[in-house]
Amino acid sequence: MSSLSDISIELLIPEIMMIIGILAMIIMPNLGDAKIRIPLTNTSIPVLIGGTRFNQVNNPYIPSIIAIFTFSLSFIVSLVMIQGETNGNVGEIMEINQFTNLFSLIFTSTLLITSIATFYVMPPRKDPKIPKNSDSIDSVSTKINILMNNRRQVDFYILLSMVGLGMCLMSKSTHLFLLFVSLELASLSSYVLVGFYKEKDIGGEAGTKYFIVGSVASAVGIYGMSLLYLWNGDLQINSLSNSWSSMEILDPMAGIGMGLMLVAFGFKVGAAPFHLATPDAYSGASSPIAGLLATASKAMGFVAIMKILFIVTLPEEGTEAYWMIAIVIISVITMTWGNFAALTSDNPKRMLAYSSVAHAGYMLAAIAAIGSGLGTQNSNILIITAVIFHLTILVLFKLGAFLVLSLLEKEGLSHNMDGLKGLARRDSTIAVSMFIFMLSLAGIPPLSGFLSKLLMINGIVNISAGTGSLSSATILNWASSVNIIFWLAISIVINSAISLFYYLRIGLIMFFEEPVSSKPLEKSIYLRITIIICAIFTILFGIGPLSEILLEIVNEAAQSLV
Amino acid sequence: MNLDILSILTLVPLFTGITLIILPQILPKEMSSNLKKITRNICMGIALAMFAIATMIFIGTIGNVEWTNLLHGEYVLKNEQFSLISSIGVQWKVGADALSFPMIWLTAFLIPISMLVEWDAKKGHIFHPLILIMEGALLGVFVSLDLFVFYVFWELTLIPMFLLILLWGGEDRKYAAMKFFIYTFTASVFMLIGILIMYFHTTPLPGIGSMTGHHFDLVQMSIQGNFMPNEGLRHFVWILLLIGFATKMPSVPVHTWLPDAHVQAPTAGSMLLAGVMLKMGAYGFLRVAVTIFPESTIIFIPLLVFLGMASLVYGAWVCMGQTNLKRMVAYSSVSHMGLIFLGIATMQPLGFAGALFMMFAHGIISPLLFAVAGSFKHHYHTLEIGSMRGIAHHSPFLSGHMMLGWMASLGLPLMAGFVAEVAILIAFWLSFGWLVMLPTLTLVITATYYLTSMQRTIFESDNPHQGILPDSLHGDKPRDVTWHENTGMFILGIFTIIFGIFPFIFWDMMSVWSTEFMTEIMIDAMQNNNIWRPSLGWILEAFK
Repeated sequence: MSSLSDISIELLIPEIMMIIGILAMIIMPNLGDAKIRIPLTNTSIPVLIGGTRFNQVNNPYIPSIIAIFTFSLSFIVSLVMIQGETNGNVGEIMEINQFTNLFSLIFTSTLLITSIATFYVMPPRKDPKIPKNSDSIDSVSTKINILMNNRRQVDFYILLSMVGLGMCLMSKSTHLFLLFVSLELASLSSYVLVGFYKEKDIGGEAGTKYFIVGSVASAVGIYGMSLLYLWNGDLQINSLSNSWSSMEILDPMAGIGMGLMLVAFGFKVGAAPFHLATPDAYSGASSPIAGLLATASKAMGFVAIMKILFIVTLPEEGTEAYWMIAIVIISVITMTWGNFAALTSDNPKRMLAYSSVAHAGYMLAAIAAIGSGLGTQNSNILIITAVIFHLTILVLFKLGAFLVLSLLEKEGLSHNMDGLKGLARRDSTIAVSMFIFMLSLAGIPPLSGFLSKLLMINGIVNISAGTGSLSSATILNWASSVNIIFWLAISIVINSAISLFYYLRIGLIMFFEEPVSSKPLEKSIYLRITIIICAIFTILFGIGPLSEILLEIVNEAAQSLV
Repeated sequence: MNLDILSILTLVPLFTGITLIILPQILPKEMSSNLKKITRNICMGIALAMFAIATMIFIGTIGNVEWTNLLHGEYVLKNEQFSLISSIGVQWKVGADALSFPMIWLTAFLIPISMLVEWDAKKGHIFHPLILIMEGALLGVFVSLDLFVFYVFWELTLIPMFLLILLWGGEDRKYAAMKFFIYTFTASVFMLIGILIMYFHTTPLPGIGSMTGHHFDLVQMSIQGNFMPNEGLRHFVWILLLIGFATKMPSVPVHTWLPDAHVQAPTAGSMLLAGVMLKMGAYGFLRVAVTIFPESTIIFIPLLVFLGMASLVYGAWVCMGQTNLKRMVAYSSVSHMGLIFLGIATMQPLGFAGALFMMFAHGIISPLLFAVAGSFKHHYHTLEIGSMRGIAHHSPFLSGHMMLGWMASLGLPLMAGFVAEVAILIAFWLSFGWLVMLPTLTLVITATYYLTSMQRTIFESDNPHQGILPDSLHGDKPRDVTWHENTGMFILGIFTIIFGIFPFIFWDMMSVWSTEFMTEIMIDAMQNNNIWRPSLGWILEAFK
């Protein structure tokens, strides 16, 4: 057994920073001038907590400043950890390697961008005036109001930090129980964040729906986990992996347990048919939160899927995994459903939500290719590299697109394509950035979306195209002899072509339609900075030396996973 | 990073253009307004410098190239290629040969002229940098020997042209810009799929493509010969590439974006669109589809003949019914582009060289036509043929340029167009016999519509001293062309005649390229694959 002293604290610095940040955010708004009078004397001792809030901490932006500070610190620490290739174990339940370091980087960068972008989103309420007669009921309720005022910012950023904490812990855990608990920590916080804007009915409804469906999915997952526990007697991922590989024929209990867990994680990544709550949740949540769900939350789901599929259940080379066919079918349904639903949706947020469903389908296709057992260790690593790379850069252009919508949200225009009409005329920089995001989502060279899609298709084609007999004279003969995995690549290409329609539609609407209002867009400088940074990095990670560096890091991460 | 002269030729206009657009947004107000005043001078300076460099490369001052001495498939001024994304095999690799160099020179030649013609364009501080960006992108297409970079530049040319049409176009500019964008973008997606299929069949090269094991290197692909083992797949890729390139060229039936785009585009946009952008399609077709898949090209000769013939005849036929000057010229471009397909389909050295010279000659003549049409729009505010008569009285220079351009385009001897047409027609007769009657008769139609339109605009007035002015002038006094329009058109006219009288300036390298490189590839393909088409059998004999 490990004791507390075995735990190397330095490996968990990002998480510890977030915890400190949360504590600071809890304490800060409660600091006040409350005093205790020592009995029988006139001396009062300040206790600092309670009473009237100090002016210095009354500033509603303090929680967001703390959050930005915390996230940027943990972002830098993650960068340093990647640079130093930090690895090690924390007790028996956590392992730190390049894979987890990279995902801490993804999560912290997402949260950093989100917290910067939401800096001005929640305006503080105006302080109500206290009536002169200090004993009246009005006065008391106003005082309570003042106390409660500006707590929303605190709540928001605490929840945001909780999401980050859960995600980072989750990527590091090697024990299914810790994995699930931290996943739920992040999920529960994100349910609340979805319904955070209670002024609007749609937010509450979306939050409730997301919560209900999400808890059912989690319950199913926990049931699967309990079956696995019954089967193995241990939830250590390594121990599960040993038992799985020593299993000669599929034990029903293990199979069902694994399948049920996949349902829970499938909900997180938005795979069909568990994706039905996603569009509602995304369109009900405020745009930065929807962006968070579409990037970090999805990455979290994929980490879980990769952990249980690649570490626990991956068979030896040359044999097909039990789950291969299931994932193939799910991936094709997911990408096709996502794309066709996105084609018909008139709400840009729903469109982006469905497009993120489609992207989940592409990544699942790559995962299915690994399960086919056709590839060698090296080619598997390449496919995993493609998936992780896609998850990494998705943070830039998916989140960026949602942030553009968030700029429109302030005018109440983000729920309709009307809001995007003539955006180029109102603000050309934002429109160009949005167009870059759309092209990158569609996978047009030289943007980074193309690079990841190319890597995925390349991985699939490399391992599967050789299965068709080369001697066949016509294309049809060859097509009938090729492995089913090859058709996944074809379906990715066809789906990408379909997706071009709705991505380009946004571009056409922005550049050709007459704007609904002639007012210039709001000057929220922080939001603008994040959008432009996202757009620049979308290009930089697509071509040139930066993309090379990122690919190298991702490749190392993929190697340390398998 | 070791940049050579071709990279400089590409990247300097590109980055200068981008900088000149971004800089005024960042600088303080006073400085930026000063900068805006001299922007067009800077742009013209850069464009002229690029033209000087291109000419010096041609003469041999830079690089010491003897263009007619190039070995089989050799590229000159190659740089030490360096990788852009080495893990997936993308590298910056540029080079020029006798196929691309005339196009490079043509681009460098046309850019300053199109700037000159629109010297006082509105919002010149954006207009001229956009043309510089256009130059960089176009040169990038012609110099890059890596399919990824080629595709990126190919798409990049869309953006400045799209903005030129959208911001400086005529009344229907939105529709035209949208149509232009959708057509060419969709077509290039087909091309991208074709490129990707080719990519997945390449074998690793040392040093690049470390992660995927593939590369985008065009030269290696053509050296590896039949690197795609499946014949059906080769034909499929060839068709995909054809869709991409034929839409840009444009060939019937995907030509419909061109007349709209031309009519709405500003003069400089039209000049570049007709002069260089259409040639991108033909260039890409020769560079990628024909060079890498020669046997598919041979198999699909009937398709090429059909497409070429359809564009030629249909384009010319439709021209006769046009009442809009620019629309007529646009359809005549479609018609002339059909000749390029016919030249390629002959599979003869003369036909290839004719097609190359057609690309070059049309690249000088059609900008002249569009400059004339643009001046009509500028000074008479209308493009309707027949709404004015006897304009020669009022605008002698404009009428002179119009006459010269129209004559050159209908293929008058001693003009550049004649050389190309005659070469293609002779080669066509050698290959397909009496089928040549159809294109030859089409030349009569061409002459008909050109002469009719000329007669109905600059001649044929009922008054011997005065022309009939269009209503759109609203009684204003008609003007002749401005000095900068005049200069631009004058230079174009001069060069039309120069290349008509001394075609060997570029013809030599083109014919060497066609005989030594293209024909050898074709003969190899026929022999290796036992493609013995009865109609082509005797040509093969003739080659030996």
